[in-house]
Amino acid sequence: MSEKPAEKTTSTKATETVKKVRAIVRGLYQNAREAKEKGQFTAYTMTACQYEEILNAMDIVPVWTENYAGLTAAKRDAERFVLKAEAEGYSNVICGYVRVGLGFDALRKEMGKTPENAPDGGMVMPDLLLGCGSACDPRFKWYQALGRYMNVPTYSFDVIWPPVDADLDEVRNYYIRYQREQFQGLVDFLERQTKKKLSHDRLWEAISRSNATWRKWWEVDQLRKAIPSPMPTEDHYNAMVPGFYCCGTQLAVDFYEELYNEVKQRVDNKIGVVPEEKYRLLFGGGLPPWHTMWIFNYFETLGAVFVMENAYRIYDPVEVPSHVKDPLDYLAWRTFLRWTQRYDMAKKRSGIATVERLLEYIEDYRIDGVVTHATKSCRATTVGQIDWLHRLNEYTNIPSMQLISDIIDVRDYSEAQWKAQIDAFVEAVEAHKRRTAR
Amino acid sequence: MMTTELKRTGLAGVEELYQRRGQRARELSEQGAKVIGYFCCYVPVEFFTALEMLPYRIQGGVNEPITEADAYLETIMCPFIRSAFDLALKNRYDFLDGLVVPHTCDTVQRIYDIWKYYRKPAYSHFINVPHMLQPSSYEFFKQELLTFRKSLEEFAGRKMTDEALTEAVRLHNENRALVRQLYDLRKPDPPLTSGVEILKTMVTGMGLPVLEYNELLRSVIREIRERGGGPGKKPARILIYGSVIDDISFIQLIEDSGANVVMDDLSTGLRGFWHDVEPTPDPLDGIVNRYLDKIYCPRTYRPQAETQEKDLDNRFGYVYKSAADFQVNGVILYVIRFCDTYELDAPDFKSYFQKKGFPVLYLEDDYSAGTLGQLKTRVQAFIEMIA
Ligand code: SF4
Ligand code: SF4
Repeated sequence: MSEKPAEKTTSTKATETVKKVRAIVRGLYQNAREAKEKGQFTAYTMTACQYEEILNAMDIVPVWTENYAGLTAAKRDAERFVLKAEAEGYSNVICGYVRVGLGFDALRKEMGKTPENAPDGGMVMPDLLLGCGSACDPRFKWYQALGRYMNVPTYSFDVIWPPVDADLDEVRNYYIRYQREQFQGLVDFLERQTKKKLSHDRLWEAISRSNATWRKWWEVDQLRKAIPSPMPTEDHYNAMVPGFYCCGTQLAVDFYEELYNEVKQRVDNKIGVVPEEKYRLLFGGGLPPWHTMWIFNYFETLGAVFVMENAYRIYDPVEVPSHVKDPLDYLAWRTFLRWTQRYDMAKKRSGIATVERLLEYIEDYRIDGVVTHATKSCRATTVGQIDWLHRLNEYTNIPSMQLISDIIDVRDYSEAQWKAQIDAFVEAVEAHKRRTAR
Repeated sequence: MMTTELKRTGLAGVEELYQRRGQRARELSEQGAKVIGYFCCYVPVEFFTALEMLPYRIQGGVNEPITEADAYLETIMCPFIRSAFDLALKNRYDFLDGLVVPHTCDTVQRIYDIWKYYRKPAYSHFINVPHMLQPSSYEFFKQELLTFRKSLEEFAGRKMTDEALTEAVRLHNENRALVRQLYDLRKPDPPLTSGVEILKTMVTGMGLPVLEYNELLRSVIREIRERGGGPGKKPARILIYGSVIDDISFIQLIEDSGANVVMDDLSTGLRGFWHDVEPTPDPLDGIVNRYLDKIYCPRTYRPQAETQEKDLDNRFGYVYKSAADFQVNGVILYVIRFCDTYELDAPDFKSYFQKKGFPVLYLEDDYSAGTLGQLKTRVQAFIEMIA
């Protein structure tokens, strides 16, 4: 490889606000270690499990295991963990995040201490493991498997949403009831473990902060409809950190407030990501290639800018009915509403809520082409992409392509191949634009 | 009422039905029966029987190269599901009137929308199955099955009475008892029947009305008992654990390598037959309990026990018990590549059995007869080692 990846990850047009994220990330692992020393409870958790505010309200410090895995990949230090997991007998097709996580904890057990020079000081030894069935199967199997390396109280819970063809009026009540019971079960477990009661007032406060966070973030993305695109896509993958990993904190609210103001200022002054924005692209899905984030710069050198992403951007604001007065009811409702967004449209048209989201973005963001990333080991975000692109083709004729690699594992990724594929794609986008301009 | 007249009985019948898979379902469909395809062990087949429909467990085809599905499905996913969908694209499942998919794993969940969109079955339904086993999970699952019941009734154009459902439970319990009887014939050394014969019977049964299957099982059990002989003594007795094996080639490979496969816990094998549905005043309650709690599959999270040892006992203890009962001297852990729940269980499963003194061969397979050769040497070496 000719250039060093670390230098390539920073876009020249990065917002000032987003530059603060690195310190926040470092703080995540540092804070968890300090919290533990002070006797606070720490818990391994995953993103988007819907219970973040509960942790916040109970002073349980989350350790985001997926994020940590992504971090090791971005620092090109994932391999030793991956290899360790494989040596332990874990298949090399298991989710890369999971392999990093299992490898990390296997090494820690073997060495009796945090693996040497672990990125950002490593993950603290948790007091609790909180798995969940939201998004994928590995999310509860991973922590179950950790029983090999630690004897830590583990709780897993379901996040369940109906299929698109369900009659929501028929199923809504019992789905929400179950979700509520799941939250209650988690709270009971946490109260038993920490010997502390959850304060509903504090939970409401955390919920209102996280709602404010997500709303502001959503507003930032509304600003990104502007031409030229005011915020580089790399920023999105950094800006997601407060939203997901500091959910329910004031820090997150302030962060998006500041980001909003900065992006707004760029929009007002027509400051774009590249000097000449020729093509507007949508990242249609899959996880970003953490090990190769500079690839977005490569697109930019061709005048192609990713103006919006369907990745780490999973909920738009939802309106929970005002009769809901209990915070756990509220969380259950919110989960249901988040997961059934765009079902109405999907029923009428493509049959898939994600496809509806993409179609909406394509129109609102004036998209010229769609790129998805098939990440070999993350079935959850990959399986279905080809299908989405097929369905998109029925309702729009803009070009699309699927890049393939992994979120973590770079052993079989080829830079030259990607560049060739990207070149050809951008040409197709250009040709399409010319055709439609005529 | 569907005909209970059998085309064939005994092992010859099994052979014919196995070779011409789907044929019986096709015939019944031509005679006007509604045939509903479904995946996995988590769909309560009693519902179909109660409405005089035929449940047909969807299979893949290891001998058939995947040629059509690539245009719709990523290659990094469960090849069994890819293969089944490939067959659907090739119109091999045109006799199905409907599709019912339970939320077993991520992949099965995804295939629901895809199959529905591109194959457009007359009827389709998705059942959410909780991964967890908290009290509320049972309540939720019951509601979900009530929703399913209602939708199936609409398709059938009539109500499912509790009497019919109770009778269906009885018939399927009888079926489970017969399967267990059949499996008991493998206990002696040498076993009275081979792993290949068992697999053919099980695969065949997945596409028959329960009355016909029960008849078939009775005749097969009788024949095996009466014939004496069987596969003969071999140096090793194997238990095979895993997900889907719906073709004999892999079992054949093991049995050709000097072992008898005498027990299994496969999702196409005994997995769905260990436990009966308990008859309950509301028949649905027994069904809920049985389907949620009594199918031991890695996709269901068994709440953590106090120690790792107990935890593993909760998850795999029943397999260990049968390995001991059937006096096996080796275990093959068969995982279809890209199957996350099994892949993540594999090291736990392996060390659990090794600690109990059973050698374990862990194989990841691509669900394709073409790549089976790659496993051959490993199987042979394993059998040589344990024999
Ligand atoms: S499979 Fe995908 S969604 Fe699941 S833990 Fe891994 S990266 Fe996250
Ligand atoms: S083999 Fe595994 S991945 Fe495939 S359908 Fe079964 S549980 Fe799902």
